[in-house]
Amino acid sequence: MNLFDRFHRFRQSDAWLYAVMMIAAGASLVASFVLSVDAIVLAADPNAGLGCNINQVISCGAVGTSWQANLLGFPNAFLGLMIEPVLIAVAIAGFSGTRFTQGFMIGVQGIVLISLGFAYWLFLQSSFVIGALCPWCLAVTFSTTVLFAAITHLNIRDDNLFLPRKLQSAMETWLRLDLDLLVLIGWLVAMVVLVFVKYGAALFA
Amino acid sequence: MSNKKPSGQQPDPASRRQQLRLEQERAAKEAKVRRIISFAALGVLGLAVIGGIVWAVMSMGALTANKPTAAGSVNATYTVVAGDPKAPVVVDIYQDYMCPYCGEFDRVNAADLEALATAGQAQIRLHPMNFLDGASQGTKYSTRAANALVTVAKAEPDKMLAFNTALYTDQPAENTTGLSDAQIAERAKAVGVSDATIATFTQLSNADFVNNTTKAAFADGIESTPTILINGTAFNSKAIYTAGALRQAVEAAAKG
Repeated sequence: MNLFDRFHRFRQSDAWLYAVMMIAAGASLVASFVLSVDAIVLAADPNAGLGCNINQVISCGAVGTSWQANLLGFPNAFLGLMIEPVLIAVAIAGFSGTRFTQGFMIGVQGIVLISLGFAYWLFLQSSFVIGALCPWCLAVTFSTTVLFAAITHLNIRDDNLFLPRKLQSAMETWLRLDLDLLVLIGWLVAMVVLVFVKYGAALFA
Repeated sequence: MSNKKPSGQQPDPASRRQQLRLEQERAAKEAKVRRIISFAALGVLGLAVIGGIVWAVMSMGALTANKPTAAGSVNATYTVVAGDPKAPVVVDIYQDYMCPYCGEFDRVNAADLEALATAGQAQIRLHPMNFLDGASQGTKYSTRAANALVTVAKAEPDKMLAFNTALYTDQPAENTTGLSDAQIAERAKAVGVSDATIATFTQLSNADFVNNTTKAAFADGIESTPTILINGTAFNSKAIYTAGALRQAVEAAAKG
């Protein structure tokens, strides 16, 4: 068995998928934590928003104080603090061999789907409406994308999602061809390029 | 894949063999496609890494290419200075022309700053930065405006503060294209800068100076704009928007 086949096999395994899920959820948790602390500091200091913050390349404190950053009336990052630990627990259990029921996995898929939608909505809002970007928010967008890819992979592999038969078999073909890997890498690279083109050197200045 | 054959329950060894062979062929074909896709994924990743390295090397090159230049009223630490260099108080102003709060600060304090400089009570050191270049839809307004200011400071230092304020009058909003080169020239002309000086704005010959101002500010730990230092100590970030507060603080500092 050559290296590619071995790699392909490994990519379909529980160990790999749950490990990816664990790392992505962990990264997201760290980022959410930093953003939550920032939000509290910002709330405590009414002057914090009265300037152009260099480290966040924010267009001038706009992200943290925008309504988009507090969609539900509290900082969005708090949602991450609630959800990510649950996903980490699921990943650890899965990694160590727990079999989840189909219903449970559908629930997990639903949660990450909502997280993904929310993360990209925020990404678009901050890039094109607020016109600002913060590295930690970007980290959340990234890891949520990876998380979604891993869980979807798992659920397609196990045929958990009650998809129409044609779609299910098409998706399985994608997985067999590792097409999902190409799409994910392409997508992430495209996002990095987009961010660099738009914000360039300012991001790390 | 179903093994049922239309020809009945009895498995026909010949067709079974054929089916197995077909399946093997399909698997081999898939393995081939998979390999191509894996290579493509690797390629995309590799290109991205190479692109990142090239970008990093290029921006490093730009960093070392910036040679310090110091002349006239221009301080070697990449600031432009107004007022008596022997004045008892030094006021440092870190700013970016795309930063709305810097405009707010100038609108509140411009007259006081001018008076303090003229009276010889304070030396005003402007640090025109360009970290908000990304917020002008690619026109690099922060650099263009700051370059114009440094050019004026070098050629006609007495017009510097007035031009600084002119740039903040009707300040363009963030994430717009900022003022055009022609508009910057117009504002310079309105405060009495000579045509000869204005003509050199578009050469951007002080863009490196502005880059260095920005780097020096980062190195000094400046975290946001506007940051105001009085004799090196940060001035209350809220009071800077209160009329007269800065002036009082400077006068208090002058008394020692």
